[in-house]
Formats: sequence, structure tokens, C-alpha cells
Amino acid sequence: MSKVVEISPTTRHEGHSKLVLKVDDAGIIERGDWLSITPVRGVEKLAIGKTMDQVPKIASRVCGICPIAHTLAGIESMEGSIRCEIPNDAKLLRVILQCANRLHSHALHNILTLPDLYIPGTETKINPFTPEEPVRSVAKRIQRLREIGQTIGEIAGGEAVHPSNPRVGGMYKACQPRAVTKMYDLAKEGLVLAHEQMDFMIAVLRNMQKRDWTDVGGKQVPIPKTLGYHSQGYMAADPVYGSSNLDECPRWDPKRWTDVRPWDWYMGEVEVSLADPSYPVGGTSPVGTKANPQMEACTGVPLYDGAPVEVGPRARMVQFKNFDEKGTFGQQIARQMEYPDCLHTIIKCLDEYNPNGKVLADNIPQGDGSMGWAANEAPRGCDVHLAKVKDGRVLYYEMLVPTTWNFPTCSRALTGAPWQLAEVIVRGYDPCVSCATHMIVVDEDKRIVAQKLIQ
Amino acid sequence: MGTELGKYKTCVSARSTSKEILKKAQDGGIVTSLFAYALEEGIIDGAIVSGPGDEPWRPQPYVATTVGELMASRGTRYNISPNVSLIKEATRSYGLDKIGIVGTPCQMQAVRKGQLYPFGWRDVDDKIKLAIGIFCMENFPYQSVKQLVEDHAAMKMESVKKMEIGKGKFWVFGERGQVVQLPLKVTHKYEQPACHVCLDYVANLADVSTGSVGSPDGWSTVFVRSKNGDDIWTKAIAAGCFETKPIEQVKPGLELVSKLANEKIGKNQKTVEARATFGVGKALRNPYIKP
Repeated sequence: MSKVVEISPTTRHEGHSKLVLKVDDAGIIERGDWLSITPVRGVEKLAIGKTMDQVPKIASRVCGICPIAHTLAGIESMEGSIRCEIPNDAKLLRVILQCANRLHSHALHNILTLPDLYIPGTETKINPFTPEEPVRSVAKRIQRLREIGQTIGEIAGGEAVHPSNPRVGGMYKACQPRAVTKMYDLAKEGLVLAHEQMDFMIAVLRNMQKRDWTDVGGKQVPIPKTLGYHSQGYMAADPVYGSSNLDECPRWDPKRWTDVRPWDWYMGEVEVSLADPSYPVGGTSPVGTKANPQMEACTGVPLYDGAPVEVGPRARMVQFKNFDEKGTFGQQIARQMEYPDCLHTIIKCLDEYNPNGKVLADNIPQGDGSMGWAANEAPRGCDVHLAKVKDGRVLYYEMLVPTTWNFPTCSRALTGAPWQLAEVIVRGYDPCVSCATHMIVVDEDKRIVAQKLIQ
Repeated sequence: MGTELGKYKTCVSARSTSKEILKKAQDGGIVTSLFAYALEEGIIDGAIVSGPGDEPWRPQPYVATTVGELMASRGTRYNISPNVSLIKEATRSYGLDKIGIVGTPCQMQAVRKGQLYPFGWRDVDDKIKLAIGIFCMENFPYQSVKQLVEDHAAMKMESVKKMEIGKGKFWVFGERGQVVQLPLKVTHKYEQPACHVCLDYVANLADVSTGSVGSPDGWSTVFVRSKNGDDIWTKAIAAGCFETKPIEQVKPGLELVSKLANEKIGKNQKTVEARATFGVGKALRNPYIKP
């Protein structure tokens, strides 16, 4: 007879979400629903009628961790709609910005996941805030990596959070030679640290993978070898940057995307029948609590080729670099392997960048209302924005952000794991829940079917 | 009043020892010399100054990273140069880590306010390493200066060699030797109205503030205010960048600075007070009093 456990709210990730889990007598998840309960912000609605310059800036406000990805995806979807090609130097600055974002975001994620892991060779879990070695120097390295990422982002993008420099048609400002040198020096410094950090994280993750059990709230919980396995597909548009409808061979296809309403996807009302007050932090929801994932979920369920897909570092690695490791650990390791790539790409772009070059297109069309899309590879995965612009105004706007794609996939990956490790699986996706909260659901004919919720 | 000159550690009359700087300097070449010294010593890696703009005598803020670039900004252009607007960009696409900035008293207030409460100034506040303030009675919009020069002084903007406010007159010196002096009574109505609520004449919040008033021609009065300003000024003196005279030994001396500062404060205080009853039932905020 299955029981129901609810973990609400989930911790150590951005945003507000919860887990409703049906478990068997041994505590193994039979069906898990991971859902966002961050209220809908309605950016898509706000966008309508605004100018194409305003909308990407508004859209970036959905989140303070990946505003760069949202700005770039938003701007490029506008450019896709108005058919505007940007100069090469502007593109290079955008790629630099993208990599800087990924660098500091991955470093932040390390802080969030380290408390799940053990110092190799010991029975001590890692507290990233302890003043003691060896953790202290790791925390300092993470901070420095974040600082490097944010400073490079600040120079190339005007701001590390909500970048001001990118605009429809290119960039507002070119970087001066001195700024280029500064970014280069920072990237060189970061490269050494990134390699160290990658090696450290992979060692710690491999150590965890070899363990048979882990301690959760004072109890020994077995770690299954298939932790976080799922049989869904992967979706990625690029190993580093992204793709848009202006590309010669676009690597994302809006025709393959459909949405399902949350009430057709998630569980109906259930009553919590298993509680554990010792589960960190503060215990699970008490027995008798009513949970209704169908109605509480604040996201649509996007499908690619009719099925949920995984997006993120592993998806990029699988699609472009023949990575084949499954499960939560595979996912985490793929993320660490992206560290050096960020900095190598920054250095490569800086070598190519010409400070005297043009960064704004000569001609910026105002749009005829045709559809444009841009799939930006945000730190957490493929961030697709779609837009229609006519006479400089936005007629239609849609954001399909990484964690929205990952919600249903991750829910399936929960099956087969002890319920105490559900959050470990969730954290493997590096969820960024608040930006995932959108509610324009379209059916196979691209008709909007769930708009009523946001009106 | 006694507080009209703000807090300062030392006050001297000084001028640059560089002939090149003095050639086109407004008075003693203090700002250019001090920035040049700070640039060469690595105290700052760039300075936001007002250089020549698109039109004659229209200043445009720009980031000078070499002494050569600094030279183009010598002299005063009597109209508004929004220097603070560049300060964030200087830390971004210019890649500066240590910034120098020159500005009027109100601009120094803006800089300090930004440092105190760096809203929208992420990673900017800690990069300001030298803020030089200049004495200011009031400022003019570009159109005003144009009208003063072209209509009142009957000169083309292009043919002006130097403008100066001193000895109770607005002076315009032409390239061909013309000298026109306008009584300040004429210029008053061209002033920027926003200047009439300012109660700071001598840039109280700068690291170092300077202006011609109080010193003989070709010299400038310098107030060294902050610890940082004192440190840089002392080093610059030791490096021989300036010759100085004690302010007590020069004419007209601090008395005139005090007199003009009090004049500005007294005059503008009236505007500030008048604003308390301005509009229908909603007074304009007095920026010098906490709400």
C-alpha cells in the first residue's frame, strides 16, 4: 500500500517548489511530482504592446541568477522576429557574457549541493561555510570564481545582474582595449581555479557515488546505483551559446514543442500519510495535510516531440560531446566539466574581438509580426524565448525556460529512489524555479488553452 | 556663518609647475596637474573630465586614461558637463578600477550619495579614488552661454579663446584680441534654475576642491579636505607638481571665498525657503533637511 510524503518547501535552490511523493512500504518512490509553487508573474502578458527594446529587459527580471540568459534569449527572439543580423563583435561580447554567467552560476550551484556530499575518506558532510580546511579554501575558490564571472559579465554586459549593454541590434557599448585586457587577465586567473574546482567537485562526487548510504536527518539512507535515472530524451541547442531562427541550420524546432496543462499531468488531490519530523530542515508535512499538485503547480508542462526532455549541462554534453553517464551523479559531473569550457570560450572570443569594431547593426527593422525564436543555453539548460514583433511592438511573447522543461523530467527521475534523496535528485538539476513559473499553455495547434489563469 | 567653507585640513594658494598645463589652464591648472600626477603614479587609472564636445565650448564628459588625453580638457567651459553619468561606464566598458572624477559641488554630492547608497552602482562606489571639486556659484545651459557670447558679447562661439567669471564680471576673450565684459546682472537670468537651491560653493564633499576665488591671477585656491585627498596632495607637492603659497599671504585671500560662499548660501536659502510654499498644498522638498 503506497503512502504519500510531502516535502514543502524544498531547500537549497532558487525559488519556491515542493515535492509530493507516493512511496512504497520500503520508502522507495513509486511516483514523484515536483512542482513549482512560485506565483505566476505573467511576464508574457506584460510584454504585449511594449516595445521590443523593453521586453527583454522586463523578461530578465524573472530571475537574478540567469538574467543574462533571459536578456540574450529575449533580445535574440526579437531579432529573430525582425530578421536583424548583428555585427560579429557584438556577438562575441554576448558569448563572453553568456560564459561569464555560466561560470558564476555553476560556482553558486556548488555551494548549494556541497552539503549533500562527504569529504572523501571521512564521514563528515561538507559545510561550505565552515572556517576549517579543506573546505575553507574551496569556498574561497568558489567565491573568487563567482567574482571573476560577475566582473567579466559586468564589463561585457554593463551589469552582472540584469545586463544593460545588450540591445536589439547588437550592443550599446563596445569594450575598450583596457577592458578587454582586464577580462583576459580575469579569465586566465579563472581558468586555473576552474580546473581545480572541477577536479575537486568530480572527486567529491565520485566518492559519493561509491558510497552505499548517506545520512539524512540522522538516518542511514541507501544510495541506489540508479539514483536519478530516467529514460527521457535530451534537448540542447548548442554546447555553449545557442541557436535562433536566423541560423542557417537552426538547432531547435518550434514545431516539435507542445504544452500540457498541469492538471493533465500531475497527481490529483492526495492526503499525506507518512511524515518524518526529523527530515532536514524542519521535517516533512504532517500526516493529514492535503496536497493537490494538479491545482498547485504554477507551470505548464512543455513537451518536445510529445515527451518531457532534460535540458542542462548533461543534455549539452550528450548532444554535442558524446557524454553518456546517467543519473544525478552524471548530471553533476557534466556540470563541472563545463567550467573550463566557459573560460576557454571567453579567452577565444577576446582574442577575436576588435575593440574598434562595430557593435550595432546599421539597420534595425521594426518587424512585420513574423515569429522569431532564440534558444539560449542558460546554465540550467535550453532557455527558449519566442516573439512576434510588428512595428517595433511586441505582439506575442513566450518564455520556455530551462527548469520548466526539467520539472516533468525530474519528476520521472525520482522514481526508484528513497524518498529522503528526492531533494538530492532535484538539486542535480540546479533548479531555478521562479523563472520557470509561466502559464501560457498551447496545444498541438498552438492555440492558447490555459490563458485564463493569468488574466 | 563659519561653515560656508566646509571641513578642510589645509588651504593653500597653488599653481601647477608644468608650463604645458598652465598654457591652457583656467587658473592654476590644479585639476589637470593633480590628475596627471595621480595617473602617472597609478593612484587612478583614468579620470572623468569634461573635454571638448561636438560644438565649440560645449563640454562633453570623457574618460582620460593618459596625460595626453587629459590635456585636451584643460580650462573651464561654463556650461553643464554631466560627468557623473560616465562613472559607471568607466568601470564597465572602459575597464577602470581606480577612477578620478572632477565636478561641481552638486556633482560631488551625487558621487558621495552614490557611494553612501550605491543603488544601481554595483562595484562603482569602491572604485572612486580621487574626487576633485571645483568652486561653483551657478552653471549655465549651453544655450545660455551661446546667447551670452553671440548676442551680448557679439562674438561667434568659434572665435572665443577663453571665458572667465571674475571680479564681478563675465569675461569673454576673443581669438583676435577682443575682450568683452558683461556685468553679472546680465548673466543671472541665463543661469540654470536648478542651481538656485544649492548651498555649497566650495565643493564640501570633494577630496580636494579648488577654484580661482581667493588667489591672485594665474593661481588657484585649494582646499584639501579628506584623508585620501591630503595623502595625494602631499605626495604631489613632494613630487614638485605644484608651487604653493600660504593662503594667508595672498590677496584677496579666504575672506573673499567666505564672502562669496555666504552670498551663494544666503541667496539660495531664500529659494529653498520659497519652495516650501511652492505649488498647491505640496511643498518641494528641502534637500538639506531630513523629511
